[in-house]
Amino acid sequence: MNKIVRKPELLAPAGDLERLRIAIKYGADAVYLGGIQFGLRANAINFTMDDLREGVEFAHSYNKKVYVTVNIVLHNKEIDGLVDYLKELEQVNVDAIIVSDPAIIKLAREYTNLEIHLSTQQSCLNVESAKFFKSEGVSRIVLGRETTKEDIQMILDNVNVEIETFIHGAMCASYSGRCVLSNFLTARDSNRGGCSQICRWDFDLKNENGYYFKGEKPFTFCTKDLSLLKHLPEMIDMGIASFKLEGRMRSVYYVATIVSVYRKVIDEYCSNPTGFEYNEEYEKVLRNCANRDSVPQFFNNIYDENCQYYNGRVEISNQDFLAIVLDYDDENQEAILEQRNYFKQGDTVEFFGPNTNTIAFTIDKIIDENGEQIEIVRHPRQVVRIPINIMLEKDCMMRIKR
Amino acid sequence: MPKTLVIPSSFDMITRVINHVDGFILGIKNLSVNLPFYMDNIEEIIGYIKKHNKEIFVSVNKNIHNDDLEILRDTLIKLDKLGVTGVMYYDASVVNIKRELGLDLDLVWAQEHMTTNYLTSNYWNSFGAKYMFVSNEVTVDEIVEMSQKSNAQLMVQLFGYIPIFSSRRHLITNYLKTFELEESSNYLIEKEGKSYSIVDDNNGTTVYSANILNGFEEYLNLKNNNISYVVLNSYKIEEEKFIKVLEIINDMNESNIESCVYKIDAMFDNVDRGFLYTETVYKVKNNE
Repeated sequence: MNKIVRKPELLAPAGDLERLRIAIKYGADAVYLGGIQFGLRANAINFTMDDLREGVEFAHSYNKKVYVTVNIVLHNKEIDGLVDYLKELEQVNVDAIIVSDPAIIKLAREYTNLEIHLSTQQSCLNVESAKFFKSEGVSRIVLGRETTKEDIQMILDNVNVEIETFIHGAMCASYSGRCVLSNFLTARDSNRGGCSQICRWDFDLKNENGYYFKGEKPFTFCTKDLSLLKHLPEMIDMGIASFKLEGRMRSVYYVATIVSVYRKVIDEYCSNPTGFEYNEEYEKVLRNCANRDSVPQFFNNIYDENCQYYNGRVEISNQDFLAIVLDYDDENQEAILEQRNYFKQGDTVEFFGPNTNTIAFTIDKIIDENGEQIEIVRHPRQVVRIPINIMLEKDCMMRIKR
Repeated sequence: MPKTLVIPSSFDMITRVINHVDGFILGIKNLSVNLPFYMDNIEEIIGYIKKHNKEIFVSVNKNIHNDDLEILRDTLIKLDKLGVTGVMYYDASVVNIKRELGLDLDLVWAQEHMTTNYLTSNYWNSFGAKYMFVSNEVTVDEIVEMSQKSNAQLMVQLFGYIPIFSSRRHLITNYLKTFELEESSNYLIEKEGKSYSIVDDNNGTTVYSANILNGFEEYLNLKNNNISYVVLNSYKIEEEKFIKVLEIINDMNESNIESCVYKIDAMFDNVDRGFLYTETVYKVKNNE
């Protein structure tokens, strides 16, 4: 019988307060986010100290955790404000900071009692590196995304430190921290949160003799996304402490979908490891939510041409997400929805929510804010009502049924 | 004066330039990336350079995986015995192994694009990083401040192409396989009129800058601010021209610096000043 060493934490991205709440409500055990300084997603919305305080209070009220990224590659001018910032994070009561620069680890240990996680930006891929950072006081290491299953196991076997691995989301084409294409092509600093994703650009490939290599699609660095859904049971058996979902810039729908799917799989496996059966439906839901293909990437040590993504820069915009439930009117048995994508009377949709299993439903009637019946909901964020005799909780998502 | 270090493209080049330089940065098979030349006969090459009383920095700058640890340990022991001037490292495993084995090796903090401040330099200095190889993505003002506040001796690249992307993936191979195209060599990728050298080898894929850095107009400034080493990378530079550049900088002094810089610029049609005067931005939105 499989023995669950530990039930892993499900760690979700929180680009802002709304996504933090959604991630927590949909089943994340912890969220990670960036403050307005010292993070690596400078162009995400990010959290002010007030936002952060509110987010931490919300998460803690659900008994969940909040980790804050302090993983910028430091330049001289940022050094002065660091200690004050770390102290503020401690005062706000965050549960840990995620750091790549070891000098920040040292400062955090000297001036605060913050728990410290080593960021994937440090590309920790081996036992000796893990030992080093453990000795420096980190309680958890977010491994580099190039680690294989064997690498992870070897580190788990040899270093007594919590291990966190990415299980879903976009990948850098390079080793983390070893790409400055963005700096050189757009003068935006990739290691300080300004990455302009040059890896997704098309290039002409030629040799020095001027011969162009022309495939059906142009050359790009772009890789498929990561998904380790199928591998979760073996990863749980390995004793990995935390499973991380990528995507602080992603939508609430994306966050809700991936969190709820991975939550279910973790819970189903941990509650009955021997009787667990992989549910292809979950994979389908993830596929429909993403606009890019995904593969296990380095986990199974295969990083060949099948991991590359040649799409000629065309990415399908995901329009599955139709609306979010703002409230439910018990008296009239109507769901009050806020539109996120075009939908119409007669559409067959699905609702899913924090505590709501998937419900299929055909929309018979739509009522606008003036009480008029309409056939199509075409305006962004338009608030409408639809009669439905199943009580839907706030923050349920409505998606097209495929 | 700052000492001159060269990243050579071959052993032959080492023999040709050895009298023009103070030392070399050398790659090592299986443990180095982004370099034009990797030693397979370490003892012989190091012996040759030592015989000429030149300094030797060995770049162990690969992202180390568990599979590499055994050879890394053996190599560090060997380099310790050979008495190289320093070992440049990217991965913390190098620091940990040096500590665990009690090796006397001097280290060079060389985390490529992350060697950007004095605080972290001083952190690594406390673990034996006597030197710091400064990132190419910082301004000259930042370099000067690092020099003033860092306990380490600074190395600054002032000439040559710059590695700007490093991946474990075989990106050229993957592309050619996907579209069933024939293999070639000496690849370039082109965008907006600029060509970037791209190399797909055993280590994965490396991309280099489109332009050749010529930062020698800051030479005296760096000298006055106690920069210990300037580095010249010979990758993809015609050997004769590279030697000419070395001759020019060896003759450089306060009165002729402008003409020396001009001479170097004139030798190539794709020279720039890198980020010496250009701070990269990282925030394009206000975020209150």
